[in-house]
Amino acid sequence: MTLTLRGEEITLLPERAIYWPKAQTLLVADTHWGKAATMRAAAIPVPGGTTSDDLARLTRLLCQTRARRLVLLGDVIHARQGRAPRTLAAVEEWRTRHAALDILMIRGNHDRGAGDPPPALSIRCCNPPVVEAPFVFQHYPTESPDGYTLAGHTHPAVKLHGKGRQRATLPCFHFAARVGVLPAFGSMTGVAVVYPRREDRVFAIAEGEVVEVGAELICRLN
Amino acid sequence: MPAAIPKPIRQFFAQRGWKPFAFQKEVWDAYQRGDSGLIHAATGTGKTYAAWLGPIIEWMQGDGEANPPLRVLWITPLRALVADTENALQLPLTELNIPWRLESRTGDTKASVKAKQQKRLPTALVTTPESLALFLTREDAPELFRDLRLIIVDEWHELLGSKRGVQTELELARLRRWSPQARTWGLSATLGNMTTAMATLLGAGAPQGRLVRGVVPKSVVIDALLPAEMERFPWAGHLGVNMLPQVLTAIEEGQTTLVFTNTRSQTEMWYQAILEARPEWAGQIAIHHGSLERKIRDFVEDGLRAGTLRCVVCTSSLDLGVDFTPVDRVLQIGSPKGVARLLQRAGRSGHRPGVPSRITCVPTHAFELVEVAAVRDAVIAGAIESRYPVERPLDLLSQWVVNIAIGGGFEADELLAEIRSTNAYKDITEAEWHWVLDFVTRGGEALRAYPEFHRVVQRDGRYLVEDRMVRRRHLLSIGTIVSDASMDVRYLTGGRLGSVEESFIARLRPGDTFHFAGKALEFVRIREMTAWVRKTTANDGIIPRWDGSRMPLSSELAAAVRNRLDEARNGIFRGPEMQSVRPVLETQADFSMIPAREQFLIERVRTSEGHHLFFYPFEGRLVHEGLEALMAWRISRLTPITFSMSCNDYGFELLAPDAAPIELAIEHGLLSPSGLVDDIPASLNAAEMARRQFREIARVAGLTFTGYPGQNKSVRQLQASSGLLFDVFTRYDSGNLLLHQAHREVLERQLERSRLGQTLERLSSSKIEIVDLERPSPLCFPLLVDRTRNRVSSEKLADRVRRMRARAEA
Repeated sequence: MTLTLRGEEITLLPERAIYWPKAQTLLVADTHWGKAATMRAAAIPVPGGTTSDDLARLTRLLCQTRARRLVLLGDVIHARQGRAPRTLAAVEEWRTRHAALDILMIRGNHDRGAGDPPPALSIRCCNPPVVEAPFVFQHYPTESPDGYTLAGHTHPAVKLHGKGRQRATLPCFHFAARVGVLPAFGSMTGVAVVYPRREDRVFAIAEGEVVEVGAELICRLN
Repeated sequence: MPAAIPKPIRQFFAQRGWKPFAFQKEVWDAYQRGDSGLIHAATGTGKTYAAWLGPIIEWMQGDGEANPPLRVLWITPLRALVADTENALQLPLTELNIPWRLESRTGDTKASVKAKQQKRLPTALVTTPESLALFLTREDAPELFRDLRLIIVDEWHELLGSKRGVQTELELARLRRWSPQARTWGLSATLGNMTTAMATLLGAGAPQGRLVRGVVPKSVVIDALLPAEMERFPWAGHLGVNMLPQVLTAIEEGQTTLVFTNTRSQTEMWYQAILEARPEWAGQIAIHHGSLERKIRDFVEDGLRAGTLRCVVCTSSLDLGVDFTPVDRVLQIGSPKGVARLLQRAGRSGHRPGVPSRITCVPTHAFELVEVAAVRDAVIAGAIESRYPVERPLDLLSQWVVNIAIGGGFEADELLAEIRSTNAYKDITEAEWHWVLDFVTRGGEALRAYPEFHRVVQRDGRYLVEDRMVRRRHLLSIGTIVSDASMDVRYLTGGRLGSVEESFIARLRPGDTFHFAGKALEFVRIREMTAWVRKTTANDGIIPRWDGSRMPLSSELAAAVRNRLDEARNGIFRGPEMQSVRPVLETQADFSMIPAREQFLIERVRTSEGHHLFFYPFEGRLVHEGLEALMAWRISRLTPITFSMSCNDYGFELLAPDAAPIELAIEHGLLSPSGLVDDIPASLNAAEMARRQFREIARVAGLTFTGYPGQNKSVRQLQASSGLLFDVFTRYDSGNLLLHQAHREVLERQLERSRLGQTLERLSSSKIEIVDLERPSPLCFPLLVDRTRNRVSSEKLADRVRRMRARAEA
């Protein structure tokens, strides 16, 4: 699914990422690496494998798009307790397989507590905003005078209703007039239902496909 | 030969103009002989003294020691009942001058009292299952309970059938092992399966207990307020207050009236309606439900006892507990739902000699009149509902094992033997037991690769909890078997009003008005798990909808309803309620038909929303929930189709964008009872019931927890929804027995408890009547307007979204 924003073409990927061909850049938000590890550290028995699977999904995206750069839109590591040796080792191992990849990370609220990724991962960490016309990359979905904001933070999902009183809640990309929000990439993350304005464009992710949904399908408050 | 009753006891009774009942003497005698048992009778018939005076007589005839160590443990299901129980138990102690200390121990107990109890326990202690569980984590607990003589479990029917009941069973097993001389007596309302109830209480392998029947209930009068004009009386909805004028008249007739409702929202609504109609009653009417602050409830209960209140609008929060003698009129708003429940509520009135109990039902829609007629039939036939104990829930066992590990630790074999002495876990397998041990120590098979994980640790063959954070979190969450995430509601000025579900508060925006505790409140903000509010005069507020408020019609009552409809089909309308509802039933016959006992009615209609199918098994909501998923799944295997479903106590609806091939489906065995064991899990999977069921399991097993005031960031970082965990476990740890439990609980709830198989047997041998409607019939109307739905689909999700889009554009 491609979309043109401020004259730039971008591709929405059902793996919960955006590809920007002109800059050969892959964008993902809210990876929350080590969330399960954080819970295990608190003696909550959550099985492992979520971060590794998320990394495998990133690898697939990188191969498929041949992106030369990855931009992480904040909340990269879930919490300080999530920096478990095993989790970091998995990320490092993944990093060596993509050694040539340039990775830029915009800090988010979780990153303040969790800290930047270890230097060995050679991820450039920046405070928001990062302006790359026509886009502004940041974690919080707020409007910017410098361009169209691409952000994360809210883990958007949309509640749909159709004929026969059908309902479905699906993670989504949500593009308002000046701000676009990506779905959370991490598989251990929850979602928050958003209630878009009528003129917004919303793309739901339904079993491996990105489908645009019109305002008439979206549940509204009251 | 029965033991003699000591003189002071006889005098205690004589001073009140009473004589000990035969059943009380029977219990005192059985207690002296060392027997355990269960006493069942209606509330307010002397069960308390039957249990309580046994150990007092024993003391009088025995040592007569002053202030002996803990002898009697009184377990009550509700914290709200503790104070009343304490008062009732204190009376004979004071009057008979018995030097015993009687105290209670709950979450509300003052720190100073707790400190005193830390040094020495009273002779008799009143507590709840949750507080007792915490108490058992004390390392010196075996010593404290050594001289225990009697454990009383009050309102056992209320605990039986829930995981709190299983928690109580585990506690009893532990106490019995420490104090083999202790006897167990349960107090219960009458159920359909008293023998099972007693066996569950006394534990597996216990000697035969004594089942004692209390005073046989006085006659009960069940009647109904009838709508003035049936033509204008609604066919659906339980929130209407159409009957307000008749209710006001009834309240005026009585001295003190209890108005029972089925949900807390109804309580708030009726309170508002009554107060608006009779503003001069301000101060004489009150509201009472389980979400209200204890102080408010105490104030109301005191008013009831003193007879200063004209009317209290309440929920099941006033079903239990001590008597309110001044109450002379009881109203039941909406469906009675069950026979036992109605009798319990009726028993709240008429505590004066020679006055029968009376309950007056107030219908909120037409068909509830049929239920009133039916419930009277069921009472006459003695068709009381049964409650079934929960079998080996592993989430609760995980919680319990951590609890024991905190309280000084355990050895595996010893604890297994103790657990197997409960009825709930008597059949637990070695494999299940080892899974639970593995789960609480190493986190289970899936966490084998994480040696740093530890919740419970093993030291020299003993299982212990060493981590202080694990301990703290466990102690904070142990009381949360039943409660969902709730938030305190407080005035900005500080006073606490009660609590509501977080999901309700989440829908409010600052400045919104809502009704709670009978007051109009403006929502200001949320901070520290508290919703801060201020009073307002605005009157257009919304009323909180609490979860879990939709109770199913019992199968006993559902059967009685089917009989009444069968009569109506034959033109027989016995009694005022059936006469009153007659026009609606005749409309049903006119638009469609009234099904006879051997007929299964299916109605079909097309509206702008799509194609509707309505099925009417009349088996109660619980059965219909399973049936609707099964039917939808079976039809969806014939053709790609998406159903949305709704159900009520009479039937269920399948709604689809396209016409469903119902005739074809019936030919292909839609109603066949065979293949159920495979079909049910498949259909329920699709309907995500197991995923929902996992919510409670995850909470009990300590995987998720509700927040608590003052929680810090480190706790918030650990929050994950149970649905997400369910998915993660399903993917990475499919052998997890808690997942299996979720599926099993759903299956059991559908298959056994609700007798889905028997229902299908009955339906498949019925004559199927498919009626095409020109307009909605009175029976289908409530389903048509119901907005809470489940879904089943055999279409790909992306296709569904595309089709939804295509249709919206068309």
